[in-house]
Amino acid sequence: MNIVVADNCSKWYGHVLGVSDVSWKLAGGIVGLLGPNGAGKSTLIKMMGGLLQPSRGSLTVYGQSPFHDVRVRRRIGYAPEHESTWDELSALELVTAMARLAGVPAGKADKAAKEALDQMGMASSMYRRVRGFSKGMRQRTKLATAIAHDPDFLLLDEPLTGVDPIARVDIVERIKRLGEAGKTIVVSSHVLYEIEALTSDIVVIYRGQVLAEGNVYEIRKLIDRHPHRIRVECDQPRVIAAALAPEDHVARLSFERGGLVLETRDPDRCYDQIAKAVIAGNVAVTALSSPDNNLGAVFEYLTGEGGRR
Amino acid sequence: MSEIRALNEKVVPTTLSTVLTLAGVTLTRLGRGKALWIGGLFAALPVAYAIGVHARHVAPSPDDLFKISLLLLALLPAMYVGASIGEEIEDRTSTYLWSRPIARWAVLAGKLCALTPLVIALVVGGWYAGIRIWTDAAPTAMSCAALAAGCVAASLIAAGIATVVPKHGMALTIGYMLVDLFIGALPFSLNQLSITNQANVLANLGGSPSGLVTPVIAMVVMSGLWAAVGFERIRRLEA
Repeated sequence: MNIVVADNCSKWYGHVLGVSDVSWKLAGGIVGLLGPNGAGKSTLIKMMGGLLQPSRGSLTVYGQSPFHDVRVRRRIGYAPEHESTWDELSALELVTAMARLAGVPAGKADKAAKEALDQMGMASSMYRRVRGFSKGMRQRTKLATAIAHDPDFLLLDEPLTGVDPIARVDIVERIKRLGEAGKTIVVSSHVLYEIEALTSDIVVIYRGQVLAEGNVYEIRKLIDRHPHRIRVECDQPRVIAAALAPEDHVARLSFERGGLVLETRDPDRCYDQIAKAVIAGNVAVTALSSPDNNLGAVFEYLTGEGGRR
Repeated sequence: MSEIRALNEKVVPTTLSTVLTLAGVTLTRLGRGKALWIGGLFAALPVAYAIGVHARHVAPSPDDLFKISLLLLALLPAMYVGASIGEEIEDRTSTYLWSRPIARWAVLAGKLCALTPLVIALVVGGWYAGIRIWTDAAPTAMSCAALAAGCVAASLIAAGIATVVPKHGMALTIGYMLVDLFIGALPFSLNQLSITNQANVLANLGGSPSGLVTPVIAMVVMSGLWAAVGFERIRRLEA
Protein backbone atom coordinates (compact mmCIF):
# COMPACT_ATOMS: atom_id res chain seq x y z
CA MET A 1 0.00 0.00 0.00
CA ASN A 2 1.20 3.50 -0.78
CA ILE A 3 1.79 5.73 2.19
CA VAL A 4 1.68 8.97 0.25
CA VAL A 5 -0.33 9.54 -2.90
CA ALA A 6 -0.14 12.92 -4.59
CA ASP A 7 -2.54 13.28 -7.48
CA ASN A 8 -2.06 16.30 -9.74
CA CYS A 9 -1.24 18.18 -6.60
CA SER A 10 -0.46 21.89 -6.86
CA LYS A 11 0.15 24.53 -4.26
CA TRP A 12 0.60 28.20 -4.81
CA TYR A 13 1.00 31.16 -2.53
CA GLY A 14 -0.71 34.06 -4.23
CA HIS A 15 1.07 34.26 -7.56
CA VAL A 16 4.04 32.19 -6.40
CA LEU A 17 3.98 28.55 -7.35
CA GLY A 18 5.20 26.17 -4.65
CA VAL A 19 4.39 22.80 -6.17
CA SER A 20 3.01 22.28 -9.65
CA ASP A 21 0.87 19.37 -10.73
CA VAL A 22 2.77 16.71 -8.83
CA SER A 23 1.62 13.11 -9.17
CA TRP A 24 3.72 10.88 -6.99
CA LYS A 25 3.44 7.79 -4.81
CA LEU A 26 5.55 6.74 -1.88
CA ALA A 27 5.53 3.13 -0.80
CA GLY A 28 8.06 3.19 2.03
CA GLY A 29 11.73 3.20 2.97
CA ILE A 30 14.00 6.23 3.10
CA VAL A 31 13.43 8.59 0.24
CA GLY A 32 15.52 11.65 -0.48
CA LEU A 33 13.77 14.72 -1.78
CA LEU A 34 16.33 16.56 -3.76
CA GLY A 35 16.25 20.01 -5.25
CA PRO A 36 17.70 23.48 -5.00
CA ASN A 37 16.39 26.09 -2.59
CA GLY A 38 12.93 27.20 -3.62
CA ALA A 39 12.30 24.05 -5.66
CA GLY A 40 9.20 23.12 -3.67
CA LYS A 41 10.64 20.49 -1.33
CA SER A 42 9.47 22.16 1.85
CA THR A 43 6.05 22.82 0.35
CA LEU A 44 5.65 19.16 -0.54
CA ILE A 45 6.83 18.09 2.89
CA LYS A 46 4.47 20.52 4.60
CA MET A 47 1.58 19.19 2.56
CA MET A 48 2.52 15.65 3.61
CA GLY A 49 2.71 16.82 7.21
CA GLY A 50 -0.70 18.47 7.14
CA LEU A 51 0.65 22.00 7.52
CA LEU A 52 -0.57 23.04 4.10
CA GLN A 53 -3.44 21.88 1.97
CA PRO A 54 -3.17 21.58 -1.80
CA SER A 55 -4.54 24.46 -3.83
CA ARG A 56 -5.53 21.94 -6.51
CA GLY A 57 -5.47 18.17 -6.78
CA SER A 58 -5.09 15.95 -3.76
CA LEU A 59 -2.48 14.58 -1.44
CA THR A 60 -3.22 11.77 0.96
CA VAL A 61 -1.16 10.08 3.64
CA TYR A 62 -2.35 6.63 4.69
CA GLY A 63 -5.38 7.29 2.52
CA GLN A 64 -6.48 10.45 4.34
CA SER A 65 -5.90 14.16 4.03
CA PRO A 66 -3.25 15.07 6.60
CA PHE A 67 -4.50 18.67 6.74
CA HIS A 68 -7.97 17.63 7.86
CA ASP A 69 -7.49 14.28 9.58
CA VAL A 70 -5.83 14.51 12.99
CA ARG A 71 -5.52 10.70 13.29
CA VAL A 72 -3.22 10.64 10.29
CA ARG A 73 -1.07 13.38 11.78
CA ARG A 74 -0.68 11.17 14.86
CA ARG A 75 1.33 8.82 12.64
CA ILE A 76 3.55 11.55 11.26
CA GLY A 77 6.72 12.98 12.78
CA TYR A 78 7.83 16.30 11.35
CA ALA A 79 11.10 18.14 11.82
CA PRO A 80 10.86 21.56 10.17
CA GLU A 81 13.62 23.27 8.29
CA HIS A 82 13.70 26.41 10.41
CA GLU A 83 15.32 26.59 13.81
CA SER A 84 12.67 28.56 15.66
CA THR A 85 11.37 26.68 18.62
CA TRP A 86 10.44 27.22 22.24
CA ASP A 87 13.93 28.28 23.23
CA GLU A 88 13.03 29.04 26.84
CA LEU A 89 12.38 25.36 27.49
CA SER A 90 14.95 22.67 28.12
CA ALA A 91 15.32 20.01 25.45
CA LEU A 92 13.49 17.55 27.68
CA GLU A 93 10.63 19.97 28.37
CA LEU A 94 10.30 20.75 24.67
CA VAL A 95 10.27 17.13 23.53
CA THR A 96 7.95 16.11 26.37
CA ALA A 97 5.48 18.86 25.44
CA MET A 98 5.60 17.86 21.79
CA ALA A 99 5.07 14.22 22.71
CA ARG A 100 2.05 15.21 24.83
CA LEU A 101 0.68 17.22 21.92
CA ALA A 102 1.13 14.19 19.70
CA GLY A 103 -1.00 12.05 21.97
CA VAL A 104 1.50 10.39 24.28
CA PRO A 105 -0.19 10.09 27.70
CA ALA A 106 1.08 12.39 30.45
CA GLY A 107 2.59 9.53 32.43
CA LYS A 108 4.60 8.27 29.48
CA ALA A 109 5.59 11.47 27.71
CA ASP A 110 8.61 12.17 29.89
CA LYS A 111 9.99 8.66 29.35
CA ALA A 112 9.28 8.83 25.61
CA ALA A 113 11.05 12.20 25.40
CA LYS A 114 14.10 10.93 27.27
CA GLU A 115 14.32 7.91 24.98
CA ALA A 116 13.98 10.07 21.88
CA LEU A 117 16.67 12.47 23.06
CA ASP A 118 18.91 9.58 23.99
CA GLN A 119 18.33 8.08 20.55
CA MET A 120 19.48 11.35 19.02
CA GLY A 121 22.60 11.54 21.19
CA MET A 122 21.25 14.30 23.43
CA ALA A 123 21.11 12.42 26.72
CA SER A 124 23.78 14.56 28.36
CA SER A 125 22.20 17.87 27.29
CA MET A 126 18.52 17.20 27.77
CA TYR A 127 18.21 19.42 30.85
CA ARG A 128 19.82 22.41 29.16
CA ARG A 129 17.73 25.13 27.61
CA VAL A 130 17.43 25.05 23.84
CA ARG A 131 18.43 28.72 23.64
CA GLY A 132 22.07 27.84 24.26
CA PHE A 133 22.25 24.98 21.79
CA SER A 134 24.54 24.78 18.79
CA LYS A 135 23.05 24.17 15.36
CA GLY A 136 23.81 20.46 15.55
CA MET A 137 22.17 20.14 18.95
CA ARG A 138 19.11 21.98 17.69
CA GLN A 139 18.86 19.63 14.75
CA ARG A 140 19.09 16.63 17.06
CA THR A 141 16.45 18.11 19.34
CA LYS A 142 14.17 18.72 16.37
CA LEU A 143 14.64 15.11 15.32
CA ALA A 144 13.82 13.99 18.86
CA THR A 145 10.55 15.99 18.77
CA ALA A 146 9.76 14.24 15.49
CA ILE A 147 10.29 10.71 16.81
CA ALA A 148 9.20 10.93 20.47
CA HIS A 149 5.64 9.81 19.77
CA ASP A 150 6.85 6.83 17.73
CA PRO A 151 5.42 7.88 14.37
CA ASP A 152 5.39 5.55 11.38
CA PHE A 153 6.20 8.25 8.87
CA LEU A 154 8.93 10.83 9.33
CA LEU A 155 9.28 14.07 7.42
CA LEU A 156 12.70 15.61 7.89
CA ASP A 157 13.12 18.95 6.17
CA GLU A 158 16.80 19.69 5.63
CA PRO A 159 17.89 17.91 8.81
CA LEU A 160 21.58 18.28 8.08
CA THR A 161 21.70 21.96 7.19
CA GLY A 162 24.40 23.82 9.04
CA VAL A 163 25.58 20.77 10.94
CA ASP A 164 29.31 20.20 11.28
CA PRO A 165 30.78 17.20 9.42
CA ILE A 166 31.18 14.99 12.49
CA ALA A 167 27.64 15.62 13.67
CA ARG A 168 26.43 15.11 10.11
CA VAL A 169 27.86 11.61 9.96
CA ASP A 170 26.31 10.83 13.32
CA ILE A 171 22.87 12.18 12.40
CA VAL A 172 22.94 10.32 9.08
CA GLU A 173 23.62 7.08 10.94
CA ARG A 174 20.78 7.74 13.36
CA ILE A 175 18.34 8.48 10.53
CA LYS A 176 19.45 5.31 8.77
CA ARG A 177 18.78 3.35 11.95
CA LEU A 178 15.26 4.76 12.05
CA GLY A 179 14.79 3.56 8.48
CA GLU A 180 16.10 0.13 9.39
CA ALA A 181 13.60 0.08 12.26
CA GLY A 182 10.83 0.22 9.69
CA LYS A 183 10.01 3.92 9.60
CA THR A 184 9.14 5.49 6.30
CA ILE A 185 11.28 8.60 6.00
CA VAL A 186 11.29 11.49 3.59
CA VAL A 187 14.42 13.60 3.90
CA SER A 188 14.85 16.77 1.93
CA SER A 189 18.08 18.44 1.05
CA HIS A 190 19.61 20.69 -1.53
CA VAL A 191 23.02 19.24 -0.77
CA LEU A 192 23.45 16.20 -2.91
CA TYR A 193 25.99 14.23 -0.98
CA GLU A 194 23.81 14.48 2.13
CA ILE A 195 21.07 12.56 0.36
CA GLU A 196 23.58 10.22 -1.20
CA ALA A 197 24.80 9.27 2.28
CA LEU A 198 21.27 8.42 3.36
CA THR A 199 19.63 6.65 0.48
CA SER A 200 19.80 5.79 -3.18
CA ASP A 201 16.05 6.32 -3.59
CA ILE A 202 15.58 9.88 -4.65
CA VAL A 203 12.95 12.20 -5.96
CA VAL A 204 14.30 15.14 -7.85
CA ILE A 205 12.13 18.22 -7.57
CA TYR A 206 12.73 21.42 -9.41
CA ARG A 207 10.57 24.48 -9.92
CA GLY A 208 7.73 22.75 -8.13
CA GLN A 209 7.72 19.68 -10.33
CA VAL A 210 8.94 16.15 -9.80
CA LEU A 211 11.61 15.86 -12.42
CA ALA A 212 12.60 12.27 -11.78
CA GLU A 213 12.20 9.61 -9.14
CA GLY A 214 13.55 6.18 -8.36
CA ASN A 215 16.85 4.59 -7.66
CA VAL A 216 19.82 6.73 -8.51
CA TYR A 217 20.89 4.16 -11.08
CA GLU A 218 17.49 4.26 -12.75
CA ILE A 219 17.76 7.99 -12.87
CA ARG A 220 21.14 7.58 -14.45
CA LYS A 221 19.37 5.96 -17.43
CA LEU A 222 17.44 9.15 -17.86
CA ILE A 223 20.56 11.21 -18.07
CA ASP A 224 22.02 8.99 -20.76
CA ARG A 225 19.96 11.08 -23.11
CA HIS A 226 21.91 14.07 -21.95
CA PRO A 227 25.59 14.64 -22.65
CA HIS A 228 27.74 12.58 -20.33
CA ARG A 229 30.77 14.29 -18.84
CA ILE A 230 34.20 12.73 -18.67
CA ARG A 231 37.09 14.44 -16.98
CA VAL A 232 40.59 13.49 -18.08
CA GLU A 233 43.50 14.70 -15.95
CA CYS A 234 46.67 14.39 -17.97
CA ASP A 235 49.86 16.14 -19.07
CA GLN A 236 48.79 16.68 -22.71
CA PRO A 237 45.07 17.52 -22.80
CA ARG A 238 45.38 19.11 -26.25
CA VAL A 239 46.46 15.81 -27.77
CA ILE A 240 43.33 14.09 -26.56
CA ALA A 241 41.21 17.09 -27.54
CA ALA A 242 42.63 17.01 -31.05
CA ALA A 243 41.82 13.33 -31.36
CA LEU A 244 38.24 13.61 -30.16
CA ALA A 245 37.13 17.03 -31.35
CA PRO A 246 36.09 15.80 -34.83
CA GLU A 247 33.87 13.06 -33.39
CA ASP A 248 30.15 13.73 -33.78
CA HIS A 249 29.27 12.28 -30.37
CA VAL A 250 31.37 14.92 -28.59
CA ALA A 251 29.03 17.76 -27.69
CA ARG A 252 31.46 19.97 -25.85
CA LEU A 253 35.08 20.07 -24.94
CA SER A 254 36.67 22.36 -22.39
CA PHE A 255 40.07 22.68 -20.80
CA GLU A 256 40.65 22.79 -17.09
CA ARG A 257 43.84 23.10 -15.11
CA GLY A 258 45.69 19.80 -15.60
CA GLY A 259 43.22 18.26 -18.00
CA LEU A 260 40.05 18.53 -20.01
CA VAL A 261 36.35 17.78 -19.72
CA LEU A 262 34.44 16.14 -22.53
CA GLU A 263 30.71 15.97 -22.96
CA THR A 264 29.61 13.03 -25.03
CA ARG A 265 26.39 11.42 -26.14
CA ASP A 266 28.08 8.05 -26.47
CA PRO A 267 30.12 7.37 -23.33
CA ASP A 268 31.31 3.88 -24.32
CA ARG A 269 32.64 5.01 -27.67
CA CYS A 270 34.21 8.05 -26.08
CA TYR A 271 36.08 5.99 -23.45
CA ASP A 272 37.46 3.77 -26.25
CA GLN A 273 38.65 6.72 -28.26
CA ILE A 274 40.24 8.38 -25.22
CA ALA A 275 42.19 5.17 -24.56
CA LYS A 276 43.37 5.08 -28.19
CA ALA A 277 44.39 8.74 -28.10
CA VAL A 278 46.29 8.24 -24.87
CA ILE A 279 48.27 5.32 -26.35
CA ALA A 280 48.85 7.02 -29.68
CA GLY A 281 49.95 10.30 -28.18
CA ASN A 282 51.88 8.77 -25.28
CA VAL A 283 49.85 10.86 -22.85
CA ALA A 284 50.38 10.45 -19.11
CA VAL A 285 46.91 10.21 -17.54
CA THR A 286 46.71 10.83 -13.81
CA ALA A 287 42.95 10.48 -13.44
CA LEU A 288 39.95 9.61 -15.52
CA SER A 289 36.59 10.28 -13.94
CA SER A 290 33.00 10.86 -14.78
CA PRO A 291 31.41 13.55 -12.69
CA ASP A 292 28.10 11.97 -13.64
CA ASN A 293 28.73 9.07 -11.30
CA ASN A 294 28.14 11.49 -8.46
CA LEU A 295 24.55 12.20 -7.52
CA GLY A 296 25.35 15.87 -7.77
CA ALA A 297 25.89 15.57 -11.47
CA VAL A 298 22.64 13.64 -11.86
CA PHE A 299 20.83 16.49 -10.19
CA GLU A 300 22.64 19.07 -12.26
CA TYR A 301 21.78 17.30 -15.46
CA LEU A 302 18.18 16.72 -14.55
CA THR A 303 17.70 20.30 -13.51
CA GLY A 304 19.44 21.51 -16.62
CA GLU A 305 22.25 23.18 -14.72
CA GLY A 306 24.88 20.73 -15.88
CA GLY A 307 24.06 21.23 -19.50
CA ARG A 308 24.73 24.92 -19.27
CA ARG A 309 28.16 24.56 -17.77
CA MET B 1 -9.34 -2.82 7.54
CA SER B 2 -5.77 -3.13 8.73
CA GLU B 3 -5.22 0.52 7.90
CA ILE B 4 -8.23 1.57 10.00
CA ARG B 5 -7.03 -0.56 12.89
CA ALA B 6 -3.56 0.95 12.65
CA LEU B 7 -4.99 4.45 12.78
CA ASN B 8 -6.96 3.62 15.89
CA GLU B 9 -3.94 2.24 17.68
CA LYS B 10 -2.36 5.67 17.88
CA VAL B 11 -4.36 7.79 20.28
CA VAL B 12 -4.79 11.48 19.55
CA PRO B 13 -4.64 13.88 22.50
CA THR B 14 -7.87 15.13 24.02
CA THR B 15 -8.69 18.79 23.60
CA LEU B 16 -8.43 19.34 27.34
CA SER B 17 -4.99 17.76 27.46
CA THR B 18 -3.89 19.87 24.47
CA VAL B 19 -5.15 23.10 26.02
CA LEU B 20 -3.54 22.30 29.38
CA THR B 21 -0.21 21.33 27.78
CA LEU B 22 -0.11 24.50 25.72
CA ALA B 23 -1.14 26.63 28.67
CA GLY B 24 1.64 25.08 30.75
CA VAL B 25 4.22 25.68 28.06
CA THR B 26 3.03 29.26 27.61
CA LEU B 27 3.34 30.03 31.32
CA THR B 28 6.74 28.31 31.61
CA ARG B 29 8.09 30.34 28.70
CA LEU B 30 6.60 33.53 30.10
CA GLY B 31 8.10 32.89 33.50
CA ARG B 32 11.55 32.54 31.99
CA GLY B 33 11.36 35.71 29.94
CA LYS B 34 11.27 39.40 30.76
CA ALA B 35 7.69 40.12 29.76
CA LEU B 36 6.25 38.89 33.04
CA TRP B 37 8.33 41.36 35.05
CA ILE B 38 7.70 44.25 32.69
CA GLY B 39 3.98 43.55 32.91
CA GLY B 40 4.27 43.40 36.66
CA LEU B 41 5.79 46.87 36.67
CA PHE B 42 2.92 48.20 34.56
CA ALA B 43 0.45 46.54 36.90
CA ALA B 44 2.07 48.37 39.80
CA LEU B 45 1.18 51.74 38.25
CA PRO B 46 -2.12 52.12 40.15
CA VAL B 47 -0.31 51.17 43.34
CA ALA B 48 2.42 53.75 42.74
CA TYR B 49 -0.19 56.38 41.93
CA ALA B 50 -2.15 55.52 45.06
CA ILE B 51 0.96 55.74 47.22
CA GLY B 52 1.82 59.16 45.75
CA VAL B 53 -1.67 60.54 46.23
CA HIS B 54 -1.98 59.03 49.71
CA ALA B 55 1.29 60.67 50.74
CA ARG B 56 -0.04 64.06 49.59
CA HIS B 57 -3.28 63.55 51.53
CA VAL B 58 -5.43 64.28 48.51
CA ALA B 59 -9.12 63.43 48.84
CA PRO B 60 -9.68 59.92 47.48
CA SER B 61 -11.25 59.57 44.05
CA PRO B 62 -11.44 55.91 43.06
CA ASP B 63 -12.59 56.98 39.62
CA ASP B 64 -9.13 58.35 38.80
CA LEU B 65 -7.47 55.18 39.91
CA PHE B 66 -9.93 53.12 37.91
CA LYS B 67 -8.98 55.05 34.77
CA ILE B 68 -5.38 54.02 35.28
CA SER B 69 -6.49 50.43 35.60
CA LEU B 70 -8.44 50.80 32.36
CA LEU B 71 -5.27 52.06 30.74
CA LEU B 72 -3.69 48.75 31.69
CA LEU B 73 -6.31 47.03 29.56
CA ALA B 74 -4.66 48.69 26.59
CA LEU B 75 -1.24 47.39 27.57
CA LEU B 76 -1.27 44.04 29.32
CA PRO B 77 -3.49 41.93 27.01
CA ALA B 78 -1.45 43.26 24.09
CA MET B 79 1.83 42.49 25.86
CA TYR B 80 0.91 38.98 26.80
CA VAL B 81 -1.81 37.63 24.53
CA GLY B 82 -1.10 39.68 21.41
CA ALA B 83 2.65 39.21 21.57
CA SER B 84 2.53 35.52 22.46
CA ILE B 85 0.15 34.54 19.67
CA GLY B 86 1.74 36.88 17.14
CA GLU B 87 5.27 35.63 17.82
CA GLU B 88 4.19 32.01 17.72
CA ILE B 89 2.80 32.46 14.24
CA GLU B 90 5.39 34.90 12.98
CA ASP B 91 8.54 33.05 14.02
CA ARG B 92 7.03 29.79 12.77
CA THR B 93 7.22 27.85 16.01
CA SER B 94 3.57 27.20 15.27
CA THR B 95 4.64 24.86 12.46
CA TYR B 96 5.49 22.32 15.16
CA LEU B 97 1.94 22.60 16.40
CA TRP B 98 0.20 22.35 13.04
CA SER B 99 1.92 19.02 12.42
CA ARG B 100 0.53 17.59 15.68
CA PRO B 101 -2.80 15.75 15.83
CA ILE B 102 -4.57 18.59 17.59
CA ALA B 103 -7.45 20.90 16.81
CA ARG B 104 -6.04 24.23 15.75
CA TRP B 105 -8.43 26.27 17.82
CA ALA B 106 -6.99 24.52 20.87
CA VAL B 107 -3.72 26.40 20.29
CA LEU B 108 -5.52 29.71 20.69
CA ALA B 109 -7.53 28.37 23.60
CA GLY B 110 -4.36 27.18 25.35
CA LYS B 111 -2.79 30.61 25.08
CA LEU B 112 -5.92 32.35 26.29
CA CYS B 113 -6.34 29.94 29.20
CA ALA B 114 -2.81 30.65 30.35
CA LEU B 115 -2.59 34.37 29.75
CA THR B 116 -6.05 35.77 30.42
CA PRO B 117 -6.03 34.78 34.12
CA LEU B 118 -2.58 36.33 34.39
CA VAL B 119 -3.83 39.58 32.87
CA ILE B 120 -6.82 39.53 35.23
CA ALA B 121 -4.58 38.89 38.22
CA LEU B 122 -2.27 41.78 37.35
CA VAL B 123 -4.96 44.33 36.47
CA VAL B 124 -7.39 43.46 39.26
CA GLY B 125 -4.53 42.95 41.71
CA GLY B 126 -3.14 46.39 40.91
CA TRP B 127 -6.58 47.96 41.28
CA TYR B 128 -7.24 46.14 44.55
CA ALA B 129 -3.89 47.06 46.08
CA GLY B 130 -4.13 50.64 44.84
CA ILE B 131 -7.59 51.25 46.25
CA ARG B 132 -6.63 49.68 49.58
CA ILE B 133 -3.70 52.06 49.90
CA TRP B 134 -5.71 55.05 48.75
CA THR B 135 -8.93 54.62 50.71
CA ASP B 136 -8.04 52.03 53.34
CA ALA B 137 -11.05 50.06 52.08
CA ALA B 138 -11.48 47.19 49.69
CA PRO B 139 -12.80 48.00 46.22
CA THR B 140 -16.31 46.90 45.35
CA ALA B 141 -16.73 43.41 44.00
CA MET B 142 -18.46 44.92 40.98
CA SER B 143 -15.47 47.08 40.12
CA CYS B 144 -13.20 44.02 40.28
CA ALA B 145 -15.63 42.00 38.18
CA ALA B 146 -15.86 44.83 35.65
CA LEU B 147 -12.09 44.97 35.30
CA ALA B 148 -11.91 41.18 34.99
CA ALA B 149 -14.56 41.26 32.27
CA GLY B 150 -12.60 43.99 30.53
CA CYS B 151 -9.47 41.83 30.72
CA VAL B 152 -11.26 38.88 29.14
CA ALA B 153 -12.69 41.06 26.37
CA ALA B 154 -9.36 42.78 25.68
CA SER B 155 -7.55 39.41 25.62
CA LEU B 156 -9.98 38.05 23.06
CA ILE B 157 -9.54 41.18 20.97
CA ALA B 158 -5.75 40.82 21.22
CA ALA B 159 -6.00 37.17 20.13
CA GLY B 160 -8.10 38.11 17.11
CA ILE B 161 -5.80 40.92 16.04
CA ALA B 162 -2.65 38.83 16.53
CA THR B 163 -3.90 36.00 14.35
CA VAL B 164 -4.78 38.41 11.56
CA VAL B 165 -1.61 40.50 11.76
CA PRO B 166 0.86 38.36 13.71
CA LYS B 167 3.86 40.50 12.91
CA HIS B 168 2.38 43.53 14.64
CA GLY B 169 0.01 41.79 17.02
CA MET B 170 1.10 43.64 20.12
CA ALA B 171 1.43 47.10 18.56
CA LEU B 172 -1.91 46.92 16.78
CA THR B 173 -3.68 45.68 19.89
CA ILE B 174 -2.28 48.59 21.89
CA GLY B 175 -3.38 50.95 19.10
CA TYR B 176 -6.84 49.41 19.00
CA MET B 177 -7.26 49.63 22.75
CA LEU B 178 -6.08 53.25 22.86
CA VAL B 179 -8.69 54.07 20.23
CA ASP B 180 -11.16 52.13 22.37
CA LEU B 181 -10.27 54.32 25.35
CA PHE B 182 -10.70 57.44 23.22
CA ILE B 183 -14.07 56.31 21.89
CA GLY B 184 -15.12 55.40 25.40
CA ALA B 185 -14.50 58.95 26.54
CA LEU B 186 -16.72 60.46 23.82
CA PRO B 187 -19.90 62.02 25.14
CA PHE B 188 -22.25 60.35 22.66
CA SER B 189 -23.53 56.90 21.85
CA LEU B 190 -20.49 55.80 19.85
CA ASN B 191 -18.91 55.11 23.22
CA GLN B 192 -21.17 52.06 23.48
CA LEU B 193 -18.68 50.32 21.18
CA SER B 194 -15.89 50.78 23.69
CA ILE B 195 -15.19 47.87 26.01
CA THR B 196 -13.28 50.11 28.41
CA ASN B 197 -16.32 52.36 28.63
CA GLN B 198 -18.51 49.33 29.23
CA ALA B 199 -16.15 48.17 31.98
CA ASN B 200 -16.42 51.61 33.50
CA VAL B 201 -20.21 51.51 33.34
CA LEU B 202 -20.23 48.00 34.80
CA ALA B 203 -17.99 49.04 37.68
CA ASN B 204 -20.57 51.69 38.62
CA LEU B 205 -18.12 53.71 40.67
CA GLY B 206 -20.31 56.79 40.61
CA GLY B 207 -22.96 54.93 42.54
CA SER B 208 -25.73 55.82 40.12
CA PRO B 209 -27.82 52.79 39.16
CA SER B 210 -26.85 51.28 35.82
CA GLY B 211 -27.93 48.07 34.20
CA LEU B 212 -25.73 45.04 33.87
CA VAL B 213 -27.20 43.79 30.65
CA THR B 214 -26.09 46.45 28.19
CA PRO B 215 -22.42 46.55 29.18
CA VAL B 216 -22.18 42.77 29.30
CA ILE B 217 -23.84 42.32 25.92
CA ALA B 218 -21.66 45.03 24.37
CA MET B 219 -18.48 43.43 25.70
CA VAL B 220 -19.54 39.94 24.62
CA VAL B 221 -20.40 41.15 21.12
CA MET B 222 -17.23 43.20 20.61
CA SER B 223 -14.85 40.60 21.96
CA GLY B 224 -16.85 37.72 20.48
CA LEU B 225 -16.44 39.16 17.02
CA TRP B 226 -12.69 39.36 17.40
CA ALA B 227 -12.53 35.90 18.94
CA ALA B 228 -14.50 34.51 16.01
CA VAL B 229 -12.06 36.19 13.63
CA GLY B 230 -9.15 34.67 15.55
CA PHE B 231 -10.51 31.14 15.68
CA GLU B 232 -11.52 31.19 12.03
CA ARG B 233 -8.17 32.59 11.01
CA ILE B 234 -6.22 29.99 12.97
CA ARG B 235 -8.34 27.23 11.46
CA ARG B 236 -7.30 28.28 7.98
CA LEU B 237 -3.77 29.32 8.75
CA GLU B 238 -1.09 27.53 6.77
CA ALA B 239 2.56 27.27 7.74
